[in-house]
Amino acid sequence: MAEHYSSFRKGGRLWLWQRITAAFLVVVLAFHFFLLHFVYHADEVTFALSQSRMETWTYYSLMVLFLITATFHGVNGVYNALINQGLTGTKRQVVKGTLIVASVILLVQGIRTANAWAGIGVL
Amino acid sequence: MSQSYNRGTIESFGRWREFSAGMWAWIFHKFTGWVLVGYLFTHIAVLSTAIDGAEMYTNTIVTLEGLLLVRILEVGLLAVAVFHILNGLRLLLVDLGVGLESQDKSFYASVILTGAITVASVPTFIAGAF
Repeated sequence: MAEHYSSFRKGGRLWLWQRITAAFLVVVLAFHFFLLHFVYHADEVTFALSQSRMETWTYYSLMVLFLITATFHGVNGVYNALINQGLTGTKRQVVKGTLIVASVILLVQGIRTANAWAGIGVL
Repeated sequence: MSQSYNRGTIESFGRWREFSAGMWAWIFHKFTGWVLVGYLFTHIAVLSTAIDGAEMYTNTIVTLEGLLLVRILEVGLLAVAVFHILNGLRLLLVDLGVGLESQDKSFYASVILTGAITVASVPTFIAGAF
């Protein structure tokens, strides 16, 4: 493959957002692992324990923001990786649409789950 | 800084024997990224059993966490996440112009630290599985 494909667009904001979300995720992903594996343990997980955390609005907000940033960072990362591999034209538009739909489904399902723990009756 | 870094045609994975530390860092970051985004979808799918009620969620998690294979996969997930975090920090710093000259050393440090954190975490991750 002689051509050099790049997901970088001069003046594009996605590149910057990928890095802003990265800076946030570095901290929150480490916190998430530490809290759920070292403070709490895998064999202790129950609905009530998750509920007690998620009923705190600060934790709920952090987890929803975590979900949104992780979804953007992950899906945009996949999209960039595919562009770097030479994805162009109609295929690129189809992949882009599919990834957007998948992201929306993930966000809706994730927020519904958080709401189930927090006792929020919306969505 | 006028020095340029020729990374070649990055899509040519067939040239893997010629890859430098920076190229391996790029490949590992892609691989761990794919694993993490795949896990994100799986994670939400499993957690969403909470929508069907407390009993459904608790039973699902207790059953999964009771499997040794799941615990081993969680150790693998930790390794993948730790590397992606450490190499991500390295990339953020390089983007800010910090440490470009020693980016190969910081990659090796990321790999060694990932290994150390993963090995040290095994007892915690496996606890209660037997």
